Parts: sequence; structure tokens; C-alpha cells
Amino acid sequence: MPETASTVLFLLINGLIWGLIVALIALGLSLIFGVMGIVNMAHGDIYMAGAVIAFYVTSLTGDFWLSLLAVPVIVIILAAPLERFILRPYEGYHSTSMIATVGISFIIQQIALGTYGGIPKKIMNPWPVSFNLLGVDYPGYRLLVGAISLLILSALWLLLYKTSYGIKVRASMQDRDMANAMGINVNQILVTTFVLGGVLAAMGGTLAAPINQVFYLMGNDIVLLCFIVVIVGGLGSLKGTFIAALSLCALEGVMASFLSPIQARAAIFVIMVVVLMRRPQGLFKE
Amino acid sequence: MDVAKTSMDVSPPREKISLPSYFAIFFLSAFFILGFLLPKGAMSLAIQIMIFSILAMAYDVSLGFTNQCSLGHSVFFGGGAYGIVFGILYLKIGVLPSLICSLLFGFVLALVTGVISVRLSEAYFVIMTAIFFAIFHLLAMDMTWLTGGDDGLTMSLAPISLGFAKFSLYDQRTNYFFVFVFLGLSYWVLNRMAQAPLGKVFISIRENEKRACFLGYNIFGYKLAAFVVSGVFSALSGGLYALTLRYSSADFFSFTWSILPVVWCLIGGLGTLAGSWIGVVLMSVFQYYVSAWWTYYLIIFGVIILVILRVSRKGIIGYLAGGR
Repeated sequence: MPETASTVLFLLINGLIWGLIVALIALGLSLIFGVMGIVNMAHGDIYMAGAVIAFYVTSLTGDFWLSLLAVPVIVIILAAPLERFILRPYEGYHSTSMIATVGISFIIQQIALGTYGGIPKKIMNPWPVSFNLLGVDYPGYRLLVGAISLLILSALWLLLYKTSYGIKVRASMQDRDMANAMGINVNQILVTTFVLGGVLAAMGGTLAAPINQVFYLMGNDIVLLCFIVVIVGGLGSLKGTFIAALSLCALEGVMASFLSPIQARAAIFVIMVVVLMRRPQGLFKE
Repeated sequence: MDVAKTSMDVSPPREKISLPSYFAIFFLSAFFILGFLLPKGAMSLAIQIMIFSILAMAYDVSLGFTNQCSLGHSVFFGGGAYGIVFGILYLKIGVLPSLICSLLFGFVLALVTGVISVRLSEAYFVIMTAIFFAIFHLLAMDMTWLTGGDDGLTMSLAPISLGFAKFSLYDQRTNYFFVFVFLGLSYWVLNRMAQAPLGKVFISIRENEKRACFLGYNIFGYKLAAFVVSGVFSALSGGLYALTLRYSSADFFSFTWSILPVVWCLIGGLGTLAGSWIGVVLMSVFQYYVSAWWTYYLIIFGVIILVILRVSRKGIIGYLAGGR
């Protein structure tokens, strides 16, 4: 049955591209948790903020691509003082930091509700081209999103594994006290890691904005999925997070071809329960 | 630079302080007197506060006594609410038997999710319970034929007869004292448990799990017991909430009901039972009055959370009792 085969392929590619976006956001979450010991419940709201900023940039200038530059700049300006002056005392205390970031999440959401409004809006597709993939017309913008995400992910990999900054980040992740004793300026690493994680989430939001609707509560759905991806991949394992994001989202996409979207999501969660029962330390961690 | 490497995040007051019990007595007697005085609007707020206080105490048994930071308590809250609705709509039994049915729901749900998740270490436990929340919330929204989905199910209540007297929960004052009795009972039971050897074992597990294990306690069993007790009382709270609203929907499984108890307990003070009531009162009164004049009141609430956590990690009761 070629018809079903092409539908499954369509959903699979959809899932993989969504998985790349989720990988961006989840890697940011994983970095923040690994380096700073903060359970960042506001991560989904930074993702939402990225989408909202993209919406404003697009409607003000008429050019969506400009937001890919504007979003990181704005997030850097906002996230650095947030870490330094508000989050610093809670670092290393998991449940306290969780509640503190819930407070921050309330604040970000309500500011978005007050300025942007409570009605979901759509950004026009910035690249209305479609490609023919094995008999299915596939929207070009989604493929482009996949490509851009891959580009950002490889840049992140280069940054973390091929530069001296990356060595310092990974050292702080393994043992913060020791890194501090070795003369690494850990305070600097903390600020930059939080900013890096925030920028990754906001970029995910910006890229997802033309695909999804922009809504002030859109972060709530994503943050739990990202936590689960981080845990299934193994805490602190960046490679595991990446693989888990791709495989879970692709699996959900394929399952959506014979289940309703809600059932597919529930099935994914059930699979994760089984995985975590068999391997409580995550799939990719020794 | 202080870096906490221990798994204990928030260590509640060490000594047995009597402050929470004084506060509990004050709080309960104040609510008893208020029951005769309050006007209609404020009374519905007070009923809500008392119901949430039960949930907050139940959560405190999990987080405050055994350091299990669960994000899955909406499962038990929603399960309790649906226990009542199923009992009245489908089984057609009275209000009190339905309440028992909702406790049973809470017990079964907590036992099943607990057996799977309690074994796991800290961060994995949090995520596992969060996954359970997500599964049940999605299922409740999907299975509209059973749960009514987002629209929910409404029910009508038959009068309760206790043999010597008959009363109807449609009367608000009756409803108030009905909830009040359950709040008092829950506090009495949980406080007895906290004073009893069982409570001491819970606290020893919170303070040092390895050492408690060396002493020969079955850590898994005790943690599971705390989790199940917590789940049953959360279900009671959910059941009372559904009784008061005479309604239940998939929204009772939403993340709000998982995250609110954490906030209440941390604001009021962990491991003190009655301390969490302060968090409930603050948040509910705030929501009730401030939301009337400013739609975005949650901004102020976020700031308050940050300030309270900055001043004292042990919450208001912990701060008053002298610990920081």
C-alpha cells in the first residue's frame, strides 16, 4: 500500500524535524541542569518568549529571518542578569530551584499574556515552497528548519568539544568544586551556560513559531517533554539527550498514523515508564 | 562559594517545634468560629482553603517527611474527584460511600504509581511522577465517554443521613462544617502518625536514608507507605473539592494540582503539616482578592515566591521557629 507508506514517511519526517527542535531545547535544559544544578521549570517559557519575540519582529519589520538574529541578542540581554541576580542563590538545590523557576515562569507567562495577549496567533510561512518527497508534497520551510537546527546543533558540538570554553563547561559539569580549584572562573561559566541554554530554547521557539501557533502557554507542553527526553537520554549525557529527542519524536510521529495524537503522546509516556523501569539511569549512560 | 553536594535540598527544622501545633489549634478554632460569621462569598473561599489545606498536608507527608518531591499528585487529586463522581453517577451510591470509593481510587493509584516510582533516585523519581501526571491527564482528556473530558461531569447530591439527622450539602454552611470535620480529622490522623514511631522512621529516612537503611529499616516499604498515605489524603481533598463544586472534569488532572502543593508546602514550611496551611491561605486569599483588581496578579505571586525562598528556604514557619 504505497498510500499508507507515504503517509507514514510524511509523519516520520515530521517527527524527526520536531525531534531536532526538541533536541535544541532539551540540550539547553540538560546543560543548565548539569552545570548549574537548576531544575529549570521556566525553560518552556523561554521557548515561548523566543516565539513571541519572533512574532513581534516579523510583524514590525515584515521579515521573519531577521528574528533569527534579534532573538539571541534579546535573550542574552535578559537571561544574563536573571541568572546573576535572581537564580544564583538557588543553584545546586534541586527542589528549591524548581519552585523558584516556577515563580519566574509565572512572571514570564503573565508578562506575555499582558503584552501579547491570550489569543493564539500564527506567523506566515516565511518560505512557502514545497518539495516532492516520494509522492508527498512536503513543506520546504520544515526541511529548512531541520537544516538550521542541525547547523546549530553541530555548532554547539564544536563549541563544547573543540574549544577551551567547552572543556571548562564540561569540567564544571563533572565537578564544580574541582573546576573552581583548578582556576576556572566558574561564575563566568554559570552565566554563559544559562545564557547558552536560554538562547537554544529561544531559537527552538523561533524556528517552531511558523509551524505551531504562538500562544502564551505553549511552553507548558514542551517543558515536560524536554525533561523526559533529558532523563531518558541519561542526565548529563548530551549525546543521549540528542538521540532520545530524535527517536522519541520520530516514534510519536509514526504512532500518530494509527492512533489519535493524544493516544500517541500517552503511548510514548507509557514506553518511557517501561524504559525507566528497566534502565533507571537512562538509556545512554554507563 | 557554597555548593551543596548532598541530596538533601531543604532540611526542615531539626528539633520538634511546638509552633506548628499551636498554629494548627489556632487555625482550626478560627475556622470553627468563622463558620458562623462569614458571609456567602468569603465562605466559599474559606471552604476552598480548607480543602486545599488537606491537599497541602497530604503533600507534606511525601515531600516534608520522606523527601519525595512528587509532581504526580494531580493523579490522586483527580482520581479522588472522579471517585466521587463515578460513585454517585455510575454506581448510584450515597455521598459517604462515594467518598470511600474516592479514597479507594487514591489508594490504588498511589500504590500502583508508587511501586514503580518510589525505588528511583531523586531526579528520576520527580520525572517518573511527572510522566504519570501526563499519562493520566492525557487519558482523562481523551476518554470523554468516561470522564466527560474538558466539559466534565456534573452530579446532584442526595441528602446525607447519619441515622439521627439528615443534612444536605446544598446548604453552604453545612458544606462548610462537613469540610471542616474532614480537615480536623485529617490533621488529627496525620499528626498522630507524625508523632508515632512510623513518623519518626519517615523523618530518619529524610535526614539520612543510608543510615536508616543500616539500622535495618525497609526503606522502600516506608517510602511507599508515606507515598500511599499522601495519595489517599490527596484523593480525599479531590473528592471534597468535587463534592463542593458538584462537578469534576479532566482539568482536575492538570499540572496545576501537582505544582500548587509544592508551592504551598515550600512557602509555609516543610515537614510541619500545619505550616503548609499558611501557604494555602496566602495564595488563595491573594488569588481571590488581588485577581479582582489586577488580571496579571500571578506576576506578584512569582515575585513573592522568589522573595520568600530568598529570605528562608524553610518557609514562613521555619523562619518563625528560628531556622533559616
